[in-house]
Amino acid sequence: MNRRHFLGQSLASAGLLAGCASSAPINISKAQVVVIGGGYGGATAAKYIRMFSNNTAQVTLIEPNTDFISCPMSNLVIGGSRTMAEITSPYENLSKRHGVKLIKDMVESIDQKQKTVKLASGSTIKYDKLVVSPGVNLMMDQIKGLAEANQAGVTIQAWKAGPETIALHQQLAAMRDGGVFAISIPEAPFRCPPGPYERACQVASYFKKNKPKSKVLIFDANADIVSKAGLFRKAWATLYPGMIEYHPKFNVVAVDAKTKTLKFEVQDDVKADVLNILPLMRAGDIAVKSGIANANGRWVQVNFLNFEATAAKDIHVLGDSIQVAPLMPKSGHMANSHAKVAAAAIVAELGGLEVNSAPVLTNTCYSFVDATQVVHVASVHQYNAAEKTFKTVPGSGGLSPEPTTLEGIYAWGWAKNIWADSLA
Amino acid sequence: MPLIHFQQLMKLSAINLSLLGLTLITSPSFAQTSANNMNNRSLAATCANCHGTNGVVVPNSGMADIGQLSKDEMLTKLMAYKSGAQPGTIMPQLAKGYTDEQLNTIANVLGKK
Repeated sequence: MNRRHFLGQSLASAGLLAGCASSAPINISKAQVVVIGGGYGGATAAKYIRMFSNNTAQVTLIEPNTDFISCPMSNLVIGGSRTMAEITSPYENLSKRHGVKLIKDMVESIDQKQKTVKLASGSTIKYDKLVVSPGVNLMMDQIKGLAEANQAGVTIQAWKAGPETIALHQQLAAMRDGGVFAISIPEAPFRCPPGPYERACQVASYFKKNKPKSKVLIFDANADIVSKAGLFRKAWATLYPGMIEYHPKFNVVAVDAKTKTLKFEVQDDVKADVLNILPLMRAGDIAVKSGIANANGRWVQVNFLNFEATAAKDIHVLGDSIQVAPLMPKSGHMANSHAKVAAAAIVAELGGLEVNSAPVLTNTCYSFVDATQVVHVASVHQYNAAEKTFKTVPGSGGLSPEPTTLEGIYAWGWAKNIWADSLA
Repeated sequence: MPLIHFQQLMKLSAINLSLLGLTLITSPSFAQTSANNMNNRSLAATCANCHGTNGVVVPNSGMADIGQLSKDEMLTKLMAYKSGAQPGTIMPQLAKGYTDEQLNTIANVLGKK
């Protein structure tokens, strides 16, 4: 008898014993789990906590929006090749199919001592475990005049998909042929590293078809393109020759709404017709307000085995709000991955089980270089016990060799499946 | 504990769980077995972003319906992606990020029963 066979048999007997002991199920049916934020992180966590607890833990999801609108794919709506309906999914399946209690509201404050959250509507909800997945907050005050320019309707970020997504497309549609679209990119880290460069592609794709004399200017506070640099550079040169200008190390410090002028730390002013100014980002408001954003006051440090905030017991933080591990992007896919690791850990902790000591995360990110051709970047992140962080596996992951329509099909396949995985 | 979960536990990978064999022999607790079961499901859930929750793909989404593969077919495919024998776009890059044991666990959890 070889070792594997022996252990296999022993396992079977162990399993039988376990089966006999099944009168002691995981007693977490009274546990209250509250999830703040129904994005890729929060929605997935709500669903998987229900699944992993065999539908015993009580899960409440607090989300102010009526529907889920995906940030991934939203650049295609800005470029006019896709509609809002195509990137919108309902929340109702989380309650219908998984028994998640949905509350359409905002959380105003967290009381860590009482273990309660207070909603904007005034009511208070008790939690045993709290999941905080509020995404990012755009730090408008870091660019002089930006808040005013937004208020005046001159500038729109559209960095959270929704009404602004359509509004930015409408600005492009109203622009004259021969006009200038300028997008400015803050210093990393920010939500969706390839997002601004993909957006430049989508705007250029729209211009090429509809307003071919127009220009796309990219002003990047970073020293180079943050993600998929070679692929984007090549796509700009081959698909949009002469249309896209890329300017690294251009840090926007002010905007003048009246003259639609960008002011930089170093370089001369630039005027544009449509301004898409992305300021520095930080963790969503509730994370910062509740004092758990202990990395420069901007991001939340977490224990990567269970995604518990290092500053607060029983508060688990997911997605864009966290202080990331090396080479971990702030992406929807990554938030969905965080959520599954956190969900298993939360159920384990509530049920008195051992938390997984070797969790795995993946990331897959597709970028459209025009309406149909796509490039990807992918990575696998294994937990490293010695360094207490996630590390990418050497030799794994990587980029597309070139844009293809096949990957365009996969990109939509990814979107449909991750939307279902998070929400249905 | 419902019978179906017990049956699922029995189908878990011998290779993967053999790593934990000693623990199980000395401490064959329900809790430990449940934790292993959940950890395996959690690992397999790293596939769900593209191939659907529990391997149930969104119909006509253009992604491979991995739920139709038997455990052995799935493992063979994953190992071929990992070795480079099977070409692809993302899968050869992702498969290289998992240990052989992890791929075996995934095939056990998601392979057609």
